[in-house]
Amino acid sequence: MVRVEVDRGLCVGNAMCVATAPGVFAHNENRQSTVIDAGGDPAALVLEAAANCPVSAIRVLDAETGRSLFPPEGAAREAEADEGMTP
Amino acid sequence: MPRTVRATGSSADVDDLFAEEVIARPYAHFVRLRERDPVHWNEKFGLWVVTGYDPVVWILRHHELFSSAVIRGAERAPYPPVLPEDAPLFDEVRAFRADQLVEQDRPEHLEQRRTVHSFFTPTAMEAWRPFVRRAVDELLDELWPRGRMNVVTDLAAPLPVRIIARLMGVPREDMDTLRGLADSILHLNRGESDRLRPLTEGIRGIVEYARPFVEERIDDPGDDLISALARGEADGVFTRHQVLANTGLMLFAGHETTMNLICNGLRAFIEHPAQWDRLRADPDRFARTATEECLRFDPPVKSTQRIVAREAELCGKTLSPGERIRWIIAAANRDPSVFQDPDRFDIGRRPNPHLSFGSGIHYCLGVALARIEGQEVFRGLARRFGRFELEPDELRYQPSIQFRSIESMPVTWSVPA
Repeated sequence: MVRVEVDRGLCVGNAMCVATAPGVFAHNENRQSTVIDAGGDPAALVLEAAANCPVSAIRVLDAETGRSLFPPEGAAREAEADEGMTP
Repeated sequence: MPRTVRATGSSADVDDLFAEEVIARPYAHFVRLRERDPVHWNEKFGLWVVTGYDPVVWILRHHELFSSAVIRGAERAPYPPVLPEDAPLFDEVRAFRADQLVEQDRPEHLEQRRTVHSFFTPTAMEAWRPFVRRAVDELLDELWPRGRMNVVTDLAAPLPVRIIARLMGVPREDMDTLRGLADSILHLNRGESDRLRPLTEGIRGIVEYARPFVEERIDDPGDDLISALARGEADGVFTRHQVLANTGLMLFAGHETTMNLICNGLRAFIEHPAQWDRLRADPDRFARTATEECLRFDPPVKSTQRIVAREAELCGKTLSPGERIRWIIAAANRDPSVFQDPDRFDIGRRPNPHLSFGSGIHYCLGVALARIEGQEVFRGLARRFGRFELEPDELRYQPSIQFRSIESMPVTWSVPA
């Protein structure tokens, strides 16, 4: 099982996540991504959706261990550095 | 319903988007317009001009209301005007641009974007950073001892072509050919009345240049950008002409915009020497936020447009199907309701939710690459160079409403003997 987080300070509503894993992601009233069901699609699709995000707004964590699956743990710090830079 | 401006001044003052003053200093003009009428009907050109941050985001996120088929559906003559005898060439330009990804709406847009989207993800592009850094280093090492350069032709133009050529997987010895084609395609953004001639030469040139690569890679794909587009044809998403038109798009879209990021950013640093010194003191720390601030402060793309597809209400105005709507990124990026002290150039600004890459489903495909190129150029410059002197008093800009492109930018710096 995975846990999925979307940073709406970063999300630009590109909607690739909704197209890639529609069982997991949907758009809210601001046309930003929101998680409707972390288990709504296979984990592989969720990871693909996270990698496809043009502004790296999606984090995927192992629900049990809390380990970051995307971005992979080494790259997580880079993503932190970009926090709050895009609409 | 008459939509004449009656507030202050004549409508011509407010609406002349190509006036010399507006091209040279867009900020004062569009900020005044935003304060007065953030969703404004421009009588002179017959289009909506949107300058407020929130309405721009709203438009960008409601793609079903606003069509991207701006060129495909265009019945207007080119502006600024072209030679009457060149009119047939405009049909050729239109046919080329109409087949590009940026002109499509859903559902075709999603299907087509998917063919190249994963090529450009932040993770995929990060793998190219060392290559970009080397390309920047090579160029700057060569330029530094000279003590002078024209930023446009010596730095900003050659770099993006070198990088996109590598991403496309074309031979290094073709660089000059590709650079020549890219330069011709830049006429898309010029004002000269005979510009369609070099432009169509560039379009025919890139189509002919790319054709054998596409043919070869449809059967034997690699991990390059042309292969990704060719796979789109193999999968039935693109026609051959669409593959070729999008190859041209990748060459142009990554060229003009990156040039403007480099030139406009360096201009901002020259005019704000304290911020330049701040970057120089710690380039690794500030390269990212400084690039974002350059993008916000003087964006490469000033403005973009759509066609209203369904009736919509925006800030009390009714937008009707078929009307053109253009938003001014340069004004939205200085909206004080979002950016504190918006006219201040601050390379440490955070958060910085500028709209220079757009928003919504058409959000810039090349964003991750553009960021890396900007970061590596400003970092590389800050590590080597002291203060730059701008030679002329006044920089001239291409007469374009879409792009903020400096025509020529000679700078000098002192080189220790």
